[in-house]
Amino acid sequence: MVGSGSDPAAIMILSLATMLPFVAFLVILIFTRKRPELSAGISIGAVAVSLVCSFVLLGLNLKMTVPVQYSVRMLASSGFDIPFGFLLDHLNVLMLVIVAVICFLVQVYSLGYMAGDPGFARYYAFMSLFAWAMLNLSVSPTILQLYIFWELVGLSSYLLIGFWYEKFSATQAGKKAFVMTRAGDVAFFIGFLILFLHTGNLNILDLNGQAASAISPAVLTLSALLIFGGIVGKSAQFPLLTWLPDAMEGPTPVSALLHSATMVAAGVYLFARLFPFFSMSQTAMSVFLAIGTVSMLLASTMAMVSRDIKKVWAFSTISQLGYMIMALGAGGYFAGFFHLTTHAGFKALLFLCSGVFIHRYGTNDVYELGRLGSRRMLVPTVSIVLAAAALSGFPPLSGYFSKEAIIGTLAQLPNPVWLVAGLAGVFLTAYYAFRMIFILLLPRPAQSSGKFGPPPEAATLSPAGGPAAPSAPGAVSHGSDHGEAGHESQYLAMALPLIILATITVVLGFFETPIKDFLEAGIMAGAPSEEGASAWSHGAALCLAAIGVALAWFEFGRRGAKQIGFVERMPLLYGLFAERWYIDRFYGLLVSRVIDKGISFLCYQNDNKVIDRSIDELCRTTVDGGRIVAFLQSGMIQYRLLVIFAVMVLLAVYFFFPII
Amino acid sequence: MIVPFGHVLVVFGIIFGLGVFCAVVRRNLIMIVLGIEIMLNAASIAFVGAALRWQNLEGQTFVLFILAVAATEVSVGLAVIVYAFRQTGSFDPNNFNLLR
Repeated sequence: MVGSGSDPAAIMILSLATMLPFVAFLVILIFTRKRPELSAGISIGAVAVSLVCSFVLLGLNLKMTVPVQYSVRMLASSGFDIPFGFLLDHLNVLMLVIVAVICFLVQVYSLGYMAGDPGFARYYAFMSLFAWAMLNLSVSPTILQLYIFWELVGLSSYLLIGFWYEKFSATQAGKKAFVMTRAGDVAFFIGFLILFLHTGNLNILDLNGQAASAISPAVLTLSALLIFGGIVGKSAQFPLLTWLPDAMEGPTPVSALLHSATMVAAGVYLFARLFPFFSMSQTAMSVFLAIGTVSMLLASTMAMVSRDIKKVWAFSTISQLGYMIMALGAGGYFAGFFHLTTHAGFKALLFLCSGVFIHRYGTNDVYELGRLGSRRMLVPTVSIVLAAAALSGFPPLSGYFSKEAIIGTLAQLPNPVWLVAGLAGVFLTAYYAFRMIFILLLPRPAQSSGKFGPPPEAATLSPAGGPAAPSAPGAVSHGSDHGEAGHESQYLAMALPLIILATITVVLGFFETPIKDFLEAGIMAGAPSEEGASAWSHGAALCLAAIGVALAWFEFGRRGAKQIGFVERMPLLYGLFAERWYIDRFYGLLVSRVIDKGISFLCYQNDNKVIDRSIDELCRTTVDGGRIVAFLQSGMIQYRLLVIFAVMVLLAVYFFFPII
Repeated sequence: MIVPFGHVLVVFGIIFGLGVFCAVVRRNLIMIVLGIEIMLNAASIAFVGAALRWQNLEGQTFVLFILAVAATEVSVGLAVIVYAFRQTGSFDPNNFNLLR
């Protein structure tokens, strides 16, 4: 047991918080799979305990100055020793709270959303696994342990994205998410192996402190870049960003979880976790900044043209994660992590609201949703407007504070390009967020949107907003066979988390200073303070957000607007954005040309021509050799006789005339 | 001894050579057996000559044994040949190569 400060009570609570979801997972899978309600109860109970525990830990931690560390020696070998255990400091106690809150709310929400699904118990089992993996990822003291849970997070998101496994597209999406994040994870693995070879230590606190400064700058940069590869994969940054929109095939609560607190947040969390380590390499930090910027801009342009409400929020997640990476890359430790915190709240809210609409009306198409009258549902409509405003960064919502912090950080960089990109991102974010809102709130009568986009599905307008036939993939066969009372309780289960999240979204921004003090107490004073951020950049951000909303209003909101965006008037640009900058096409081409026709062709040839052929040759040589030898075995008695006589004569000559 | 031993050996060599030739060259099982008989007889001549040369009757007794062995060999050999002929309808030794 090693520890810089070890508090037995904290450790007990922590182990309780981190182990219970796993116990729930096992119990559900083994014992209660046939009983959906019980399974859901177990799962929610476990995560609720985790939630309470993490709040208790937060309370304990407020007074704590030294990180709590508890570890058991495992993987001890002659040359090295990698301990497993817990690390508890200000950063991960906050992460713990975020994860627990979002997991809890999403699981409660799923009670309504997934009601009647045949895989209800399985769903809750996977949710528990997901929560367990993410909670443990947050408290890992070594990179190896973090990596193990990192992979488990990937596994459980694979399971949940492909949850409706009867759907081909869902299994494909799950596979894509798994493979693409794996590409990044390989880099991550190599990165920390390099680190391990040079320092012999994988302890996160040590790496952030003394251990990393001992190695040469080149190795440091290399390993930082490789570890960042893992973040790129997990947080869906450029160039590995295309799995995230496809991950929308999963149930909507899963998307909410995936996008706010667990899967993609893991990448940013790792960045924050190793922030002092990363900031030792200036080169790596500028690369991170560039990648964050590119992903942020690319994803927001993609979000401008999508009709699928979930996809828009998915692109928006990529772009907000880009913001976080930008902020961290620019040295704004607090800004990045604070944005992660607020984003977890409002992005979960956006997804959960969309989930209510999708659940009710059975379509993902935002035009369709608007036409079917989604605005009549009060709680989700108000919540989604709040969340979109937070996303666009309007005061006094939480998004405003975190985005201002990021813009402030960017404004301090010597190169103004980053600030301009960040401000452009603010504008685009406001535009696409309110494009959605206006389409939802102010629907136009059914019309074909011209040559762009798929024609809307035949709108079955049912009177009084009754449930339309669930035809879209998002909605399985729940709904129609439930009574009105069932609907009411489902709606309640879904509305309650929405209200809580909306409250969080509204008030979280006012906790900026306490959170900042709390976070920065734990970390070194290396980050530049954001005090000197010029006021004009804040004003500019707010103005740009307002302009974005105004543009969205002009095109989608005002009376007589055709609800066709300016991008859609430019076919070339529209094609580019709708095809996601051809990144998917590029990967498709890459896979078919390089992997299918290149590498696998070479492997095929190797198999065919080298291995098969050599074995064929070996066999043929053996057979031919056998034939030659068999020629001696002709079965001709007389030849043998002849040979016998010849030998006898020679022997006779040899014996009688020994001189020869 | 009127005939010198060297002449006896020459006759032995000629007849033995003929026997070998017969056994190796003829494509007929009966002829092969015949060749073997000729070789046995050639050996008998050599034994008789040697018995006279060294005035020792053991050589001549040996010839009696050889005759007995030759008789059995012919009887067994011919039986085998008849059986083989019934199986394959041929006397050609090249056809008997099933064990190859």
